Amino acid sequence: MTENFEVQFIDRDERTARFLVRGVSPAFANGLRRAIIADVPTLSIDSVRIIENSSVMFDEQISLRLGLVPLTTPPNEFEEGDIVTLALDVEGPETAYSGDLRSDHELVEPADTNIPIIELKYPETADSPQRLELEADAVMGRGRDHAKNQGGVAVGYRHLQTVVVEDDADEYSDSEPEILRGVIEERAAEHAVATDGTGEPENGALVATETFDNDLSKRYPDKEVSVRDVDDAFVFHVESDGSMSVDELVTNAADSLAERATELEQAVQL
Amino acid sequence: MELRVIDKESTELSIEIAGEDHTFMNVLKGALLELDTVQAATYDLNPEQSGGQTDPILTIKTDEAIDPLDVLGEAARNVQQKSENFRDAFQAAS
Repeated sequence: MTENFEVQFIDRDERTARFLVRGVSPAFANGLRRAIIADVPTLSIDSVRIIENSSVMFDEQISLRLGLVPLTTPPNEFEEGDIVTLALDVEGPETAYSGDLRSDHELVEPADTNIPIIELKYPETADSPQRLELEADAVMGRGRDHAKNQGGVAVGYRHLQTVVVEDDADEYSDSEPEILRGVIEERAAEHAVATDGTGEPENGALVATETFDNDLSKRYPDKEVSVRDVDDAFVFHVESDGSMSVDELVTNAADSLAERATELEQAVQL
Repeated sequence: MELRVIDKESTELSIEIAGEDHTFMNVLKGALLELDTVQAATYDLNPEQSGGQTDPILTIKTDEAIDPLDVLGEAARNVQQKSENFRDAFQAAS
């Protein structure tokens, strides 16, 4: 099958990206979304050895919180089931943060350093401060087994949409906002007004609806408009939890689909 | 991925694909339906807690002249091709 995909980035920064994919079927788009969420392995703390815990929280509660800390997962370094050891040692009066975790692998560290684990005190009546010391094993696992291993958070897609100008709006009717969210492909530039930072309207341009306050009546004043989906074109929104870049998430997800297809093909031939 | 043929006739196939879920099965079903030789393709997947059969069962009906197993192989190849094409297009754009 000679399918040609066309990918175009709409916006991107460190942890989020929005991109348009053309030529993709709804089934494939959803498979990709699900693979990004559940099938890209990341490191997460899975078992904890408590050496000392005189804080006000149970060991189990602390362990749960540690598990939810995203850890950076370098590409092609680990396989599923691999283990990295981390350690934490904090004494009150101080708050233990995710950034206090030290790992035995130079490329593995907490993706965010400012997640509070627990506030440790030194009560006046006590002879010693509260203390938390532990060792933890982070395991490479998949989101389908535990949500702490999800590399993608808030992953979704919408159809690319386009606006058709039907007619002029009624001259004496009240103008009402017409709210639309997502990205539109401009096909009626002659009726559109320039919106923030997007320059002169031009047919074929991709316009994020935020640029006109998600309100079509601001982009096409005094027009009666309708909205259509563009076939086989999806705008993906992918946000990473910091364990890897959006690019790695998406390519790993595509690879995981390809791998399974290869496996099936070989199994069928036997 | 373990396959277990449940029912096989000259133009019909029922096969269990162990260890897969909607992520892959729906993509595969989509690829099967894109083939002209396939008359019908569907899969059934019960939820984890339902007990009993929780691995997906894929059912394919084909035209007279073609073996459904060959069709399945072709669809799998197409999924692989698509995923690779997508990855390349994505990397080229980023």
